[in-house]
Amino acid sequence: MNKGARISIVLVSAAVAVGLILFGIFGYLRTYPPTVVFTPSPTQPHTVDVTLQVEGAVGTGPHPNWVGWYAKDAQGKWVRTTLYQVPEKTYVHVTVYEYDSGGPLRNPYWGKITGTVGNDAVLNGKKVSVLDAAEGNGIGHTMVAPALNLSVPMWGLSGTEKTFCQSGPCTLANAHNTETFTFYTGNHPHNYRWQCFIPCGAGFLNGNGGPMAETGYMAGFWKVVA
Amino acid sequence: MAIDMTPAAGVGSPTDLEARGLKAAKPWFTGNMLTAFIGGAIGYAFGHWLGNAIASNYSVVADGAGNEVAIYLSLIIGCLGWFVGLGALNYPIQKLLGLEPIDPPKSEKRSFWEHFTYSTDHKVVGVQYLFGMLLYFLVAGLLALGIRTELLSPVNHIWAPDTYIEIVGEHGTMMMMMMTSVIMGPFGNYLIPLMIGSKKMAFPRLEATSFWFTVPSFFILLSALWQGGFQSGWTGYAPLSIQGGPGQSDYDVAFALMALSMVAASINMTATIINYRAPGMRWSRMPILAWGMITVAFTMLLSVPVLFDGLYVMSLDRGVRTAMLYAGHGGSSFLWENLFWFFGHPEVYLLALPGFALTVELLPVFARKPIFALKTSTAGLIGVAVLSFFVWQHHLFMSGMNPDMRPLFMLTTELISIPTGFLYLVAMGTVWRGKIRFEVPMLFLLAVFWNFLWGGVTGVYNSDVPVDALVHGSFFVMAHFHFTIMGQLIFAVFAGVYYYVPLIFGIRLNDKLGKISFWIIFVAFNSTFLPLFMIGLLGQPRRVFEYALRLQHLNQWVSVSSYVLGFGILLYVINLIWSLAVTRTPAGPNPWESRGLEWQVGYPVPRDNFEKVPVVLRDPYGYGTGDDTPVADLNPVGDMAAVVTGGDA
Repeated sequence: MNKGARISIVLVSAAVAVGLILFGIFGYLRTYPPTVVFTPSPTQPHTVDVTLQVEGAVGTGPHPNWVGWYAKDAQGKWVRTTLYQVPEKTYVHVTVYEYDSGGPLRNPYWGKITGTVGNDAVLNGKKVSVLDAAEGNGIGHTMVAPALNLSVPMWGLSGTEKTFCQSGPCTLANAHNTETFTFYTGNHPHNYRWQCFIPCGAGFLNGNGGPMAETGYMAGFWKVVA
Repeated sequence: MAIDMTPAAGVGSPTDLEARGLKAAKPWFTGNMLTAFIGGAIGYAFGHWLGNAIASNYSVVADGAGNEVAIYLSLIIGCLGWFVGLGALNYPIQKLLGLEPIDPPKSEKRSFWEHFTYSTDHKVVGVQYLFGMLLYFLVAGLLALGIRTELLSPVNHIWAPDTYIEIVGEHGTMMMMMMTSVIMGPFGNYLIPLMIGSKKMAFPRLEATSFWFTVPSFFILLSALWQGGFQSGWTGYAPLSIQGGPGQSDYDVAFALMALSMVAASINMTATIINYRAPGMRWSRMPILAWGMITVAFTMLLSVPVLFDGLYVMSLDRGVRTAMLYAGHGGSSFLWENLFWFFGHPEVYLLALPGFALTVELLPVFARKPIFALKTSTAGLIGVAVLSFFVWQHHLFMSGMNPDMRPLFMLTTELISIPTGFLYLVAMGTVWRGKIRFEVPMLFLLAVFWNFLWGGVTGVYNSDVPVDALVHGSFFVMAHFHFTIMGQLIFAVFAGVYYYVPLIFGIRLNDKLGKISFWIIFVAFNSTFLPLFMIGLLGQPRRVFEYALRLQHLNQWVSVSSYVLGFGILLYVINLIWSLAVTRTPAGPNPWESRGLEWQVGYPVPRDNFEKVPVVLRDPYGYGTGDDTPVADLNPVGDMAAVVTGGDA
């Protein structure tokens, strides 16, 4: 084999290697759920409305049977993500449609609502400050952002509801609970990590692992920007 | 000596498959990497089907959607298919069928494609290991750059937090499990028969198998990235390991395959060094690299099966719902921690000892002096290996272990610095007042002194319980082991590759590029890892992708340095590939003027290494003594060997 051929082989091999590396990085490792940007309306500059839904099986993506969250974007379309961008110094009005079943809490403290305006929320039209997981259908999920002191439990459904949603995104025709709360984003732009604290990873030991540890399912960020 | 050392022993004569009516099956019978991949894919699919057929919905969690039995069986049977495709089972199957197995002949000149087959030639296996290890190291190194890229900023993220911990786990596991063979694999397999005057390895098939275990192990481990990774990191602690998804099973099987590789390599190495030494190759004359290999092989043989046992227990807990490692089900996570670290800490020395052995082996060549206190360095190797089995619980100081046990393990860990000191001082004594040639390999060897000093001294502090309580789980510990392992082992490997390329490939690397790459690697390595001691003392924990804002500048310094380090290593690799594939500058015989027996056979190394079994006359380190007596008689007349050994030749 002459020198030119050898050079060609080396260069082509190097190009293939670089291609594989870039494919690995951008095709997989950099695959990230999208961020839904919430902006205030011109008439209410320090307020944004966020609409979310949480359900038992998100229906799409690499793990269609995992529990997960959707957010409604500016066009009114449901986007499967747990990354939400909101402005600093802003009151965030959150509406969550809860479509998943619930159960008792391992730690009743997780039933307490903290970090919201008034340390309370409105569940199906009723103001609540603590959800007693020992009653009714119990708690399905929580939205907890420790650095914002935010912790809000979501009241669960009965798994035997006739119109129980099987696959996301669910619609209001499916059985659901509606919960609203407001929190303040503060003065420090930062990516605030949030996490569901209720072990809900079905198929994983004690419900931990899987969706509990993965962005886009039961973990995400409140991205507070200037 | 009654050992059969004829060229044909163990490797057979030319095959004639066509005469047996097996023409269509020839590719399978000869075996190669392509058929191995096909066999692996078929085995994987069959294993998955079988797992679902016999254990549907029988998973780690009742009614869980995953079937770990199917995952384990697919990986295990896939690996079996890999070896079938490779042709590794031809020999035992033919034996079982009553046929006389015959292998392809070894050619005088090795072809390029031979390196993609199941070859029983120790020189081919050595080269396979060399490039395999290089690939594994570069992939794991690339993952390290991914880690450093994320740590450029505590608030703006490149990866998701779960992706970050996957990358950390992959990097750590790939480095720690694959690099155990980075010296024994290429250098041990290629050089040991040449160094001890043998025509072959004791168990050529075991030797080949040891390499071919590493390939599926690498791919299975890498595939974990596409399956959610393993949040447990390289240590695989329960309950994270039991809670993890399919990526954790990949970790389990990949590590087990690598364990089998290490055991196979060790059995072969031990048997070869004990039984295949040429006449006159007394223990006192044996090269220090061979001492390093046999010490490491024994350490592997005693420690690796314990790891394999732990991995087996993990697979049972994950696959068929036993409860041995998970306290919530009545097991104990301490069981895993002890099984793992009983392997894990000797493993640190499995990495360090070959690095030391190679360093001490090469230093006399460039210092033009005999090894200072050769027996002391041997004692150092053995001392470290023995003590390495009595230190593992220092990894559990902060785990809730019996506090009364802490002083004992603190003491044993501190004691190990004594035999380590033997090796360090022997190396220094060898350089002292030598006529040093500052060639590229020597530069890397001298850097080993500097790097290991940092790693060694901080290691003594880490072994103290009060200090460990402070720095446990921080970047301080991370900096320490990178200085001891990368700063010592990998620098020694870089020296070794540069040094032995003329023997293995007959060419010389570009010296100018070699020196440039050395200085970049050396400066950037220190610039990357020295600040990490400070970052660790300031409180930054490992495995966490966010950190305090005040540490951002230090982290940015480290990240930029790591990119420069990556560039330096890339330059080294480019030098190697370009010199091998394009420029091919002939090195000439023995360009370093080494007295080692391995250099006396010339290039290309003959098919059977030596025309006749040599008779070794002295140790290979007589530099600068004025005594030019040859190291060995390569063409002994008559029964010279019998005269030397006092027995049968």
